[in-house]
Amino acid sequence: METLLNVGQGFGVALLPINLLYCFIGVFIGTLVGVLPGIGPISAMSLLLPITLSGTPESGIIMMAGIYYGSMYGGSTTSILVNIPGEAASVVTCIDGHQMAKQGRAGPALGISALGSFIAGTFALVALMLVAPSLASVAIAFGPAEYFSLMVLGLVVLTFLTQGSMAKALLMACIGIVLGLVGLDSITAQPRLTFGRLELIDGIGLVPVVMGLFGVAEVLINTEQIIKRDVINAKITHLLPNKADWKASAGPIGRGTILGFFLGILPGGGSVISSFASYALEKRLSKTPERFGNGAIEGVAGPEAANNAAAGGAFIPLMTLGIPPNVVMALLLGAFIVHGVQPGPLMITQNPGLFWGIVASMYIGNAMLLVLNLPLIGMWVQLLKLPYNILFPLIILFTIIGVYCSSNNVFDVYVMIAFGLIGYFMRKLGYEPAPLVLAFVLGPMLENNLRKSLILSQGDLFTFVERPISAVCLAIAVVLLVGPLLPSLRKKRELVALDEGV
Amino acid sequence: MFQSGRLMIALAAIGVLMSAGAGAQDYPTKPITLIVPWPAGGSTDISMRAIADSASKILGQPITIDNKAGGSGTVGPATMVASAKPDGYTIAQIPITVFRLPLMQEVSWDPAKDFSYIIHLTGYTFGVTTSAESQFKTWKDVVDYAKANPGKVTYATPGAGTSLHIGMEQIAALAGIKLTQVPFKGGAETNAAVLGQHTMLQADSTGWRPLVDAGKLRLLMVWTSARSPNFPDVPTLKELGYPMVYDSPFGIAGPKGMDPKIVAKLHDAFKKALDDPAVVTTLAKFDMVPNYKNTEDYKKFVTEVTNSELKVIETLGLAKKKN
Repeated sequence: METLLNVGQGFGVALLPINLLYCFIGVFIGTLVGVLPGIGPISAMSLLLPITLSGTPESGIIMMAGIYYGSMYGGSTTSILVNIPGEAASVVTCIDGHQMAKQGRAGPALGISALGSFIAGTFALVALMLVAPSLASVAIAFGPAEYFSLMVLGLVVLTFLTQGSMAKALLMACIGIVLGLVGLDSITAQPRLTFGRLELIDGIGLVPVVMGLFGVAEVLINTEQIIKRDVINAKITHLLPNKADWKASAGPIGRGTILGFFLGILPGGGSVISSFASYALEKRLSKTPERFGNGAIEGVAGPEAANNAAAGGAFIPLMTLGIPPNVVMALLLGAFIVHGVQPGPLMITQNPGLFWGIVASMYIGNAMLLVLNLPLIGMWVQLLKLPYNILFPLIILFTIIGVYCSSNNVFDVYVMIAFGLIGYFMRKLGYEPAPLVLAFVLGPMLENNLRKSLILSQGDLFTFVERPISAVCLAIAVVLLVGPLLPSLRKKRELVALDEGV
Repeated sequence: MFQSGRLMIALAAIGVLMSAGAGAQDYPTKPITLIVPWPAGGSTDISMRAIADSASKILGQPITIDNKAGGSGTVGPATMVASAKPDGYTIAQIPITVFRLPLMQEVSWDPAKDFSYIIHLTGYTFGVTTSAESQFKTWKDVVDYAKANPGKVTYATPGAGTSLHIGMEQIAALAGIKLTQVPFKGGAETNAAVLGQHTMLQADSTGWRPLVDAGKLRLLMVWTSARSPNFPDVPTLKELGYPMVYDSPFGIAGPKGMDPKIVAKLHDAFKKALDDPAVVTTLAKFDMVPNYKNTEDYKKFVTEVTNSELKVIETLGLAKKKN
């Protein structure tokens, strides 16, 4: 009953015309930055932070939050249309989403990703309201040992993303980990693999790597095949998912939502890990895993639901403990503090209007996003009809602007071009970029947590099996690795191996 | 005729003098860029924005903030000395790592020669916390426990080589105890580590404040020179018998060779900004303590801090290897 009263109060705040306006501006900008490759929610929010200072705390934070979850909607658009992930969480969406677009099913792919995001976002909010305080303890139960084991599980799951040779995928993952080591060693602050370059002290940026491997490489590959013009010639059948699509997607959306929500609570890469964990789960459960990588709608619906649910879950540690689980949340924490509000255990009781107002505004924002995004699908699909000699220079232009904006550094543009060339040759030789990117994200966290757990346990390796959460993660990883060797599961593995020969 | 001729010469002479001094006299005639070597939206960025906003009103020209983060806050100042003209239109915030990093590794700048120091502004409030459920009620409990169990006391810092790491090691050396550092990446992670009791202690800037207010964390000490008005019951390092203040102070500087008149103009504007009520409130929000030093004192401070840092870093075995 009390919750209902609070929700009522929250809607009272969120429905004020000024807050509705800020909410709309936020989700609109969010959709835009999500769609533009490279310009992620982080750069947009840090640019706009000073603008929010003039209004009330509610409207400022409602707008900032809107940019964040709005970008989660928009991020999948470029993944599907042109195979460039708008942000890291959409890397997985490229795999099947872009294949669907090539088959003329860009509409259903965009539609299921918007609707899946809406369902997941709404569920995450209900969960945020009902169980936020009690779930806060989950975030702090994860110490270095637990994170290490979760990362190990994550890297094992990586192998499920591949369609081709397992050996090639593992090689890519290794290269990703090594690239992730460039920069100051996170424990002793010694520079590693920097070759004396000041630009490399902070490591290689994720944005230029992703933009290069996906965006630039995609353009290079396509200029070669320009005569085929496959995207344009494919007949665009319908814009929204049909009954069969829904039937296939319902399960993935449900599972992705729950998975994403829980992984989102954990500090560090929640939305990235949840999106590919969901993909791996769906591929594992599917009766036809060979369709994955060739335009399976489940491979779009699950990960998109997961990364949006993770965006909702991420609010829990911020609002209840004052602990931001990712950079975007850290910016939001900055916004709270600027307005004189300190997120933490006392916020819900001290500032109920603000807390419930923000939660209520996210319901409204999610509805706005759906209304905003569904009609846009038709327009996005039209974009595919642009001639390549206009589309490709535009893509290159936007990736360069995006990479430069994310760091104000020309060096990163060179990095992107270098990775574009690397990505081109990787594709020619049948290596996939997704395992490299995900290992690049997970590798540094894996190393850092391994070393921290060993400092804490004074070098005792048993710490990883003695702690229950860590032990469970490692056990699942072992099952996943050994599982395919068992006779009952061998059939699936052969099916997966088949498309290697195709 | 004679008279007016002399007047003309005198006027002309004044005119020549005026135009020669025009750079410094009229300064500033265009917007000034202030490099902040931290990501936008952080505590340093927001407080620098407030200070710059106030100073720009006094100078009559806008000050634009350029966030060039990286290398523990050194990439921005290093880029400035490598590429900017010493005309007063490009200045940078100088965090303490600009002096510390050159002692630990090869870098492209020399803090003693490459900068025109302008004004020293403020510092952070650092403190050591423990979980409310912990056995440690006071700092003395920690020292007693650490004496009985060398190396068993773990503390979370926002990174190796930060003021928190180096400060804790200095405290441990003075107390005759051995502590084990566990470096995390910033305040969010150290809060989670100490709250989940993965580490026994946390050494960090005031990101712990809401958790201390809520009674989830216990603040054992602060590293400022005087007690914090927000936590009047918590002792300072000095009161606990460690003759130190650690607040990772910062100021602003331009490239070497700036006109002293321009330096003075910038100094005066930023000094006034420190008294602006809007700046005072912003600094208080982040528990930043104003720490004003004029240009001369700032220069002396750079030498002092370099010498004292070198000693600490050498004892901790973090100094760069000499060829």
